[in-house]
Amino acid sequence: MFFNSLAFAIFLPTVFFLYWFVFNKTKSAQNALLIIASYYFYSCWDWRFLFLLVFSTFLDYYTGIQIEKGKSEKSRKFWFWLSIIVNLGFLGMFKYYNFFASSFSDLLNSIGIKASPILLEVILPVGISFYTFHGLSYVIDIYYKRIKAEYNFVDYSLFVSYFPLLVAGPIERATHLLPEIKVKREFDLEKAKEGICQIIWGLVKKIVIADTCATYANAIFDNYTSMNSFSLILGAVYFAFQIYGDFSGYSDIALGVSKLFGLDLLRNFNYPYFSRDIAEFWRRWHISLSSWFRDYLYIPLGGSKGGLWMKIRNTFIIFIISGFWHGANWTYVAWGFINAVYFLPLLLSNSNRNNMDDIRLKFDFDSAKVMMSILYTFLLTCIAWVFFRARTITDAVEYLKRIIVNKDFSFQYLDNERYSYEILLMIGVFVLIEWNNRTKLEPLSGKRSMLKIALAITAVIAFGTFSDYKEFIYFQF
Amino acid sequence: MKQFLIYITKVLLITILIAIVLDGLYTYVFLQSKNRGKIEDVFNSKTRNYDVVILGSSRANNHFDAQMFQDNGLKAFNFGMSGGHLFEASLLLKLMVERKYEIKNVILEADLNLASQHEAEGISALFLPYIHNSKIIKNHFAGKENFNELYYIPFYRYIKYETKIGCRETFFAAIHKKTNQLDNLGYRGLERHKNANMKNNIAKLNPLPHNKYYEEIKNICKANNINFIAVMTPMCENVVGMNYFDKVKKSYPEIHNYENVIVEDKYFSSCGHMNDTGSKMFTAKILKNFFKK
Repeated sequence: MFFNSLAFAIFLPTVFFLYWFVFNKTKSAQNALLIIASYYFYSCWDWRFLFLLVFSTFLDYYTGIQIEKGKSEKSRKFWFWLSIIVNLGFLGMFKYYNFFASSFSDLLNSIGIKASPILLEVILPVGISFYTFHGLSYVIDIYYKRIKAEYNFVDYSLFVSYFPLLVAGPIERATHLLPEIKVKREFDLEKAKEGICQIIWGLVKKIVIADTCATYANAIFDNYTSMNSFSLILGAVYFAFQIYGDFSGYSDIALGVSKLFGLDLLRNFNYPYFSRDIAEFWRRWHISLSSWFRDYLYIPLGGSKGGLWMKIRNTFIIFIISGFWHGANWTYVAWGFINAVYFLPLLLSNSNRNNMDDIRLKFDFDSAKVMMSILYTFLLTCIAWVFFRARTITDAVEYLKRIIVNKDFSFQYLDNERYSYEILLMIGVFVLIEWNNRTKLEPLSGKRSMLKIALAITAVIAFGTFSDYKEFIYFQF
Repeated sequence: MKQFLIYITKVLLITILIAIVLDGLYTYVFLQSKNRGKIEDVFNSKTRNYDVVILGSSRANNHFDAQMFQDNGLKAFNFGMSGGHLFEASLLLKLMVERKYEIKNVILEADLNLASQHEAEGISALFLPYIHNSKIIKNHFAGKENFNELYYIPFYRYIKYETKIGCRETFFAAIHKKTNQLDNLGYRGLERHKNANMKNNIAKLNPLPHNKYYEEIKNICKANNINFIAVMTPMCENVVGMNYFDKVKKSYPEIHNYENVIVEDKYFSSCGHMNDTGSKMFTAKILKNFFKK
């Protein structure tokens, strides 16, 4: 069941009605309903993986309590590592085992040792990377005594399985979401209206921007050897907007849906393509994942406090693991590596926290510099996205090489039966709208909200891509 | 909560209103369109006279050079549609009859398309803008699985088939941007490609014994005193399952088998489609055999 499906359009109002009109007496009733709804939502993909989700939930719930109750450090450590190993074990088995097995086999074959890997015939359970990270952050926080263990299984289950964030995040923290779950929610009209605006804007991003860009990006990336320089540049830009529209659109819908139930989730995107450097980009892109890695990996490794080598090591570790989190493919590792290369000079020159303020433009030289730095940062991200999107690293390198050597900047007719430049105007309008609303969560609320909603709905209906349906990219992660 | 329910009702009403307005707007544009495709050309036309009307899929569109008919004093037009099935050919003929076209002969390419009674979505979608303006189109689609959605939900058909009749196509229709579909009297000659695939496997294909839309076309012709000529058109040499054409002949003895009149690869653009040279040779044979020209 996708957020942009008819099934979800029936599911959401049904749960909303039951939540506020039938199960609205107590917090427990509200949570119980959301749990049932979440498990139903998840089982729509594959009910068999529900057992894995329930097991993972129970494991972290139980080990969390045992860590808190543990009288000796040894016992606390035992339950802590048990949770970490089992959680990462499942993630590793489902997501990474086949990749490592075949990569190892390739390595042996390359040095003349014949090997054929034993591969598992398993499909990746949807959302496993997200709910595993929910559980891990909870257990780690208890171990380091940042939070108390949760003794109410229903409340804890809801924290892990809450359907808007279950399959593609944002990756929530127990410190943030559990306190909200622990109290009965009262209906808040303004919050609900904000939620509706955010859902509609999320649909614009997904259906109008991401899915439309996807048809062009696919046509270009899948046939890159016959594309000219101009088309290849456009392909990278289209993919940049595809992945942004897709993932931030999903996050917007998740946040909006949550607001309908009186819950606030962590903001996941903050107009990342308006970043002035890569450090700022990573403070604005997939914020819940970046901050997760910062808090649970980068800082425990020593962060940027150590010497030069430690800084370099930690930067590469966090970016490469972050890349690898996205999928079992060397292209994601390369994407992480490239971002580490981008980020490192800023860290070493202590300029990684230069652009913390809001962007304000005037008609002066400084503003022109800001615009140039935004464009430069976007260019860098587009280069990195080529690695993220390409099938192999070789393809990515060839793609970039062809941009330089081809030198043909004419318009091309693509496989999707459209000219390569056709959606530039639409992207331009989208960027302009986002730019003018960059201080807000989304552009639809505020003055003349109904008119803006009407325009957004018109855009979804008239300009959306429906026939070539695409699921959300981040579901595969 | 009451205020929120009013708010959400407003949003829903706005959505419905937008869908109705857009539906009306798009339909209006398609009703004005005449130079973008064969379907709108027929739908938005009035009485015409033809000596020969050619119907079928791309194997009609690329194989019958209508100009050669014209050069021999026969007013002809090739209404073959690339990707089309007999479902669309039948509906197009129904529309022609409704518009009181005076047609003396219909040449129907009837071979591989006899294996299916399904509509070709990409082509059948082009009829949908007119579904509320034509009983014939409505009735033709009535038996289809998603008919109710297509007919009753405003703008649904434009969303479902947005690549064919969505905003892009509507925009081009609104500015009367011409396509080449109606050029050369509807015929589209193909070039010979050096690396074209000259192999095909149709071993698993079987003609339906009573193809509903083939029978429909035959009956329309009979009812309107139109001479009905059904032909199987050529395929390249390397086809596995060539006995398909024998099976067609067995089920439909009235269909003329011209599959093997052109065989050499040099006359083909791909295995199922002759190039311009091959098509001209083939058309000459048809003219000679059926029209004594």
